[in-house]
Amino acid sequence: MWTSGVNALWRAAYRRAVRSAFATVPLYRERWALGGRTDPVVVPGRTGTHGGAITAEEAVRKVVDLVPLAGGAASPDPARGLGHVLPLARPPRPGTLVVVVDPAIPRPPTDLPNTLRGCVLDPASLTGGTRPAALDEVVTALRRNGNVTAVGPDEAIAALVAALPEDLAHRVDRLPHRALDRLDGGPFGLIHDPVLGYLGGIGHCGRWHLDWPRVYARRTTGGLALTLLRQSSPRLVDILVAGGVRGEVAPCPRHGTPVVLT
Amino acid sequence: MTAVCVLDPRVDPQPPDWPGFQRASQLHPVWDYELMGLEAWLARNPPLLALVRQAGRIVAAMSVMVCRSWRAPRYAPPPRRRPHWPRPLWAEVYQPWLSGFPGVVFAPGLDQDGRRAAARAVERALPRRLGPGLLGLLYRAIGADLVPVLAGRGRLVRRTDPAAVLDNRFATEEEWLASLSKSRRGGLRRQQRALAADPTLVIRGGPGRDDLDAVAIAHLINRHRAGFGRLPMDPRTPVAAAYLDRFLRRPDVHTLTYHDQDGRLLAVHTMLDHPHTPVSQHWAALREADGGRPNLYFDNCVRAVRYTVRHGRARLSSGRGLLDVKRTLGFATRAVYSVAVPRPVMGG
Ligand SMILES: [Zn+2]
Repeated sequence: MWTSGVNALWRAAYRRAVRSAFATVPLYRERWALGGRTDPVVVPGRTGTHGGAITAEEAVRKVVDLVPLAGGAASPDPARGLGHVLPLARPPRPGTLVVVVDPAIPRPPTDLPNTLRGCVLDPASLTGGTRPAALDEVVTALRRNGNVTAVGPDEAIAALVAALPEDLAHRVDRLPHRALDRLDGGPFGLIHDPVLGYLGGIGHCGRWHLDWPRVYARRTTGGLALTLLRQSSPRLVDILVAGGVRGEVAPCPRHGTPVVLT
Repeated sequence: MTAVCVLDPRVDPQPPDWPGFQRASQLHPVWDYELMGLEAWLARNPPLLALVRQAGRIVAAMSVMVCRSWRAPRYAPPPRRRPHWPRPLWAEVYQPWLSGFPGVVFAPGLDQDGRRAAARAVERALPRRLGPGLLGLLYRAIGADLVPVLAGRGRLVRRTDPAAVLDNRFATEEEWLASLSKSRRGGLRRQQRALAADPTLVIRGGPGRDDLDAVAIAHLINRHRAGFGRLPMDPRTPVAAAYLDRFLRRPDVHTLTYHDQDGRLLAVHTMLDHPHTPVSQHWAALREADGGRPNLYFDNCVRAVRYTVRHGRARLSSGRGLLDVKRTLGFATRAVYSVAVPRPVMGG
């Protein structure tokens, strides 16, 4: 059961995103005017392929055409959304240091709440000659009995933990990245895509929840197509991530908000 | 019997007699109906195609841009969805990607009176099509020959930036070079030698190319247009990659590209071939500060002139802008006018 109104609100936000993308963003204008799309159809009689969705690879290749006519950023932020999925997946205590260890995320997250601190650490730097400053920051925080949450692919988190003094290593909370086609049983995890950023995470209920106020997902013949509802540039609408993942979107029986089943 | 039909190339099928008229009137490839449809879908101010027929034969055609704004960062609303209340708009008779040429063409042999009558017939048909919000009509890039046809009481005729044309009086490229000033000639020769000897520069050109990255070309053109060379009150939209992707494959469209060794696009030139008057259409280059190279502009001019001379075309048209430079390359200017027709005098 959907919590009352969630589905209607969610779909309305998505339809607005589609209309706005069709009216202002070159790639969607081309794709949907000439080829077409479904759900909603924007040009009568034209339904396109995969419901008008595009692959993440194409989105990256043509990212200049994802900037709306009014202008805006031309590169996606792979750390986008972290601040919104953390409370969903592993609510951090105030003051927690969130360290993102992912070679694909070079810049710190910009949407963390004020009560958290964020930094990035390139796992490759852990094996280099000079000790990265972010590692010292992690050690200092742990020594002061602070909380540290490590976010990233399993092997990157493992490399970070291995670089810490033994007495501190076990105190790092791990929050691993999962690509949409690799969702597992948890207990912790975040859905991450290198182009769209953070899309959701495992909730208390053990299901993979979407960050639904910001992320929309729908089934197409090419797989699940994801939309960032609030990012104005580059505009990412109906993107087939992780090579196109078969799956479904359904309401969580406990929470009534959207979860993905793959 | 004069009949006017106004087509929306986004949704209306191509009229069966249009390709024949295009050939007979030797229109540039931007008049291709399918391309006009592409352009219309991807435009803020999309073109309609207005046709005037007499005794069942097309005697005049206009590309009529329906303009709602110079600046609004939105594409036009989809076809046939009329607003409930009249929104102000105006029409421009203009071929957006054919600089220096008007958006109106007449059948060969139609005299001035016939031309005037045909244009007035379209002017009377447009308010019916576009509704009570229509403020007026602007003919852009009109040559001196058409001014008497389109001017009249209550109409404003204004001279605008002239277009550059090179009349081909040359049997060889050498003859053309010999007609230039000594310093320009020497400069071009030095540049040509330097470019030919530069192993870091990859120059490719030719018609109907299918090896091009339309997204990169559109990006470079739009960046160049945004940087400079933009007309005031330009009703056009940034060039769309999907349009170029189709357009550049045409056998009558020549594309010249300059890449560096790493495959980065440094500059691009498109030329529309034509039995009499090939047109230098888009030129765009990276600035030197962004890794661009000097003198590529001159190289593209040399190549366009070379093509014109070798293939015996009567003249090369090179649009507006950079007139001082073009003069040193032998180009003359052709006066260009605009004619504004306020709504109350349209059709009169
Ligand atoms: Zn749940």
